[in-house]
Amino acid sequence: MGAASSIKDWFVDPQFAGKKKFLRSLDIFKDLRDRELGQIVSALHSRSYHEGEVIFEEGDIGRALFILKSGAVDLTRAGAQGAAAPLYSLKAGEFFGEMALLESLPRTATATATEKSQLLLLHRSKLESLLSTEPRIGVTIMSHLARLLSARLRRMNACAAPAAPNQ
Amino acid sequence: MSSTRRESPFLTVFIVAGVALYGFYRVHHVLTPFLLAAAFAYTINPLATYFEARGLRRLPLIVLGYLMALALGMSLYTGFKSLAVAEAELLQARAPGYMKTLQSLASVQQDRFVQKLPLPPHIARHAVETALGGLFEMLQMLPSHLLALLPLLLHMMLVPFIGFFFLIDGPSGINSMIQACPSRFVEQALHLLSEIDTALGNYLRGIVIVAIAIALASFVGLVILDVDNAALIAVLSGVSSFVPYLGAVIGALVGGAMAFYQFGTLAAGLKVVALFVGIRVADEVLLQPVIAKHSVHLHPMVFLLALILAGEIFGFMGLLFAIPAACILKALISVSWSWYSSERGLVPRAAAGTAIPYT
Repeated sequence: MGAASSIKDWFVDPQFAGKKKFLRSLDIFKDLRDRELGQIVSALHSRSYHEGEVIFEEGDIGRALFILKSGAVDLTRAGAQGAAAPLYSLKAGEFFGEMALLESLPRTATATATEKSQLLLLHRSKLESLLSTEPRIGVTIMSHLARLLSARLRRMNACAAPAAPNQ
Repeated sequence: MSSTRRESPFLTVFIVAGVALYGFYRVHHVLTPFLLAAAFAYTINPLATYFEARGLRRLPLIVLGYLMALALGMSLYTGFKSLAVAEAELLQARAPGYMKTLQSLASVQQDRFVQKLPLPPHIARHAVETALGGLFEMLQMLPSHLLALLPLLLHMMLVPFIGFFFLIDGPSGINSMIQACPSRFVEQALHLLSEIDTALGNYLRGIVIVAIAIALASFVGLVILDVDNAALIAVLSGVSSFVPYLGAVIGALVGGAMAFYQFGTLAAGLKVVALFVGIRVADEVLLQPVIAKHSVHLHPMVFLLALILAGEIFGFMGLLFAIPAACILKALISVSWSWYSSERGLVPRAAAGTAIPYT
């Protein structure tokens, strides 16, 4: 029993379950099955950024989704005077740059690590490859992105709509 | 939009690739086993990734895989040792006979050929004798040419050893490259790596499948035709098919000559040639569409040019790596164009129907 357990420990990666658990905590991957999450773990690239390092700049052509594993990232946008206006501060477990998975358009904000941060990158071509080899993974992610887009659009419409006249 | 607009580094990438290629040319003899090991590791890496995606550690997987391959190799060696020894003995016994037959055949054909040439007889005889003399000289030099391949065999022994370390490193090597890449170019670097992976991975894995299929089909066909040294010719054909189109040509030439000598009729040789034509057609119709589906499509002219250029510059190893190098170059051009066109707004950015209000 002890020998079998040590052989299993030698073969099984103890960090793998933790990586899958982390991914499952993200909305974009929460509907994926266990085996599919394993494939996402293999498709992700990891990179650490030091404090103040720019991850991407407004106007760059986006090609990857970034998942913040640890640390903090600020999203800013250049204002009328050229000064950076803060948009949002991301904390561990949130993701950004997801629209790059749909189209190669210029980034609408600049992302900067505000402390030493560990990020996971999912490149668009990896997702496209998954779409053809593992359609369920691709469809699940795309479906989530579509819902996210729709929700943002509704919010923008609600903000832009004129107030209803009083009866 | 930022005032300090970032430009894609495609020019830098091309310069770096050019410098790397020149550097490789200068030291390619030393780097050959590493390159072969990298190709070997890259070809079987998806198997490791498959199990890794199921939560298994890479190192024990690779060690277990190597042990299994060793056990399989030893079983195959034990099983086929008698066959290999028998084929070697048969070849050794008959080789002088092959040469004698060739020489007598050549002398008979020489007289007929001299009569047919539209030249004065003494000039025609001299020309034919010079050509045939060169041919026989080449045949006599064959053993020394084979000895010259010994360093390549040594490389073959080094390949699994070096490949082991490439395999263990696996994705961590890529992640180290990504970490070393300036943050502004990380997405472009991933794009380039991904395109190369798609083009090269499918080509390399495809060519291994083709080599195994050609070797097996040749062996079965030659055994059915009762040709001597079937296993040897099949292995030769399979190994040489790592150079595109060469496998079937070598198989047809060597197998055809062997059958002609063995049975003494032209029909026997033609049957073997027909077998290899059939194998080549089956490869083109059945295997290539599946293999080429996801890999880079090269124009036949580019294909040929790559083979000729690489063969001229790097010799036999150049022939092996010509098409993978052409695949990488095409991926580089494709990615550079993608960066350039995206940044210059040359591709349509908005989807149709955006004017319709959200409902």
